[in-house]
Amino acid sequence: MDQQAASSSAPVSLGQEIAELWGEHLDGRTVGVDDDFFALGGNSLTGIKIIDRVAQDYDVRLSVRDFYLAQTPARVAELIERARAAA
Amino acid sequence: MRLTPGPRRAIDLDAVDLFDLDLYTAGDPHPIWDEMRERAPLHHQVLPDGREFWSVTRYEDVCRVLGDHREFTSERGTVCTHLGQDDVAAGTLLTSTDPPRHTEVRRAIGARLTARAVAPWEDRIRQSVVRFLEPALDGAPFDLAEQALLLPAIVTGPLLGIPERDWAELVQLTAMVTAPSDPHFQMGGEAATLAISHHELVTYVTDRVKRRRASGDTDGSLLDHLMSVHAGDAPLTDEEIALDGYSILLGANVTTPHTVSGTVQALIERPEQFDKAQADPTLIPNLVEEGLRWTSAACNFMRYAVDDVQIGGGTIPARGAVVAWIGSANRDASRFPDPHTFDITRDNAKRQVAFGFGPHFCIGAPLARLTLRIFFEELLQRCGSIELAGEPEHLRSHFIAGLTHLPIVAQERRTP
Repeated sequence: MDQQAASSSAPVSLGQEIAELWGEHLDGRTVGVDDDFFALGGNSLTGIKIIDRVAQDYDVRLSVRDFYLAQTPARVAELIERARAAA
Repeated sequence: MRLTPGPRRAIDLDAVDLFDLDLYTAGDPHPIWDEMRERAPLHHQVLPDGREFWSVTRYEDVCRVLGDHREFTSERGTVCTHLGQDDVAAGTLLTSTDPPRHTEVRRAIGARLTARAVAPWEDRIRQSVVRFLEPALDGAPFDLAEQALLLPAIVTGPLLGIPERDWAELVQLTAMVTAPSDPHFQMGGEAATLAISHHELVTYVTDRVKRRRASGDTDGSLLDHLMSVHAGDAPLTDEEIALDGYSILLGANVTTPHTVSGTVQALIERPEQFDKAQADPTLIPNLVEEGLRWTSAACNFMRYAVDDVQIGGGTIPARGAVVAWIGSANRDASRFPDPHTFDITRDNAKRQVAFGFGPHFCIGAPLARLTLRIFFEELLQRCGSIELAGEPEHLRSHFIAGLTHLPIVAQERRTP
């Protein structure tokens, strides 16, 4: 996955962290920052775990709808950045 | 989908696409199923993306697929919108669990949903139904299909232990699960719609359980029952409580409304049947059975073949997905003569399989039957006549057969 393709304004490193976190919950597979959650086999039970981990690790409670509509690690990283900025 | 089929037409069974959502929104599946029962009782289809499934459409075959877990497992998923993705909740969610674990949990939960257990709710349900019908009786157009979506919530909310303020949102979420491509309910794409609705429903139940544990409050509701009941030697796990709570909400919400509106539509189209039921209220229990057969709101359920299996004159290979079309089984002429005739005096209407068949037979069936009987008793008691006040619109789903809009005008009955 070409990381330059990320349309994210968030630092690439946060996107990568999120991609790694997804990987942990998706059978340890390698996840790129622009990979699609559902194409990777993600579902609501994975989503519940990931949102809980984000809350724990980043102190940001993502909205369920925002999370699934964002659909890529890069855009989820953006959501986290935005929530932090607003805090 | 149309419940009264249009004229018989030439059908090329090799070209039929049973997962084409337009078929259910604007089309007419019954003539296709008629043809399948006759000429291809085991039908095979490959989707453009390579996923494939087999279909059974005859009454006997549908019962066999739904009834025999040794040949046809539920543990890889039972809902055709998830074809090809093994169910992540297998072995935990009751509907995706085979015996023997299924039997233990089913017995434990079902004890609170038997006909005898729900009978004391009759007066409360009747009061709710009467309140529900009031705005329909003032002679102004009333969208029965839209309003009926809330009916199970109004009726079963207190029984399930869910406060009224949450119902509208839960109804929206359960509708998203069953018709993730319907523009009324879609949010982002189909996958996002399904994930959002599953996620929010499961976390809703989890949060209620947490709050209840913290406060120690009990109200004798079904949710309390899930939290305290033992299956086998142990209480249900938190995951089982969350998923089965979700499943009960789903089952309650997404089928009964369509049986209500589809049956009322059938009565509007056939005033002689309406008059017959009104003249003789003892026919109402059978009207309910015929309405269930006619509407078959849960249009199908899916199973996976465990080994190669012979059925319908063909073979489903091991691990193949098979869709059991309940909507078709309920129109099988070998079981129901003149199957496309809506007849409230049909003598074997009760043999319908709208609630499924075998171990996974709908756990809420006694409650649904009670609710439907009360609904039609009150409707026929209070309405002098009902007319269509606009075009019915159909749900965009190949899993749930239903209506999204059914505008009606009802006149209050003068001499009840």
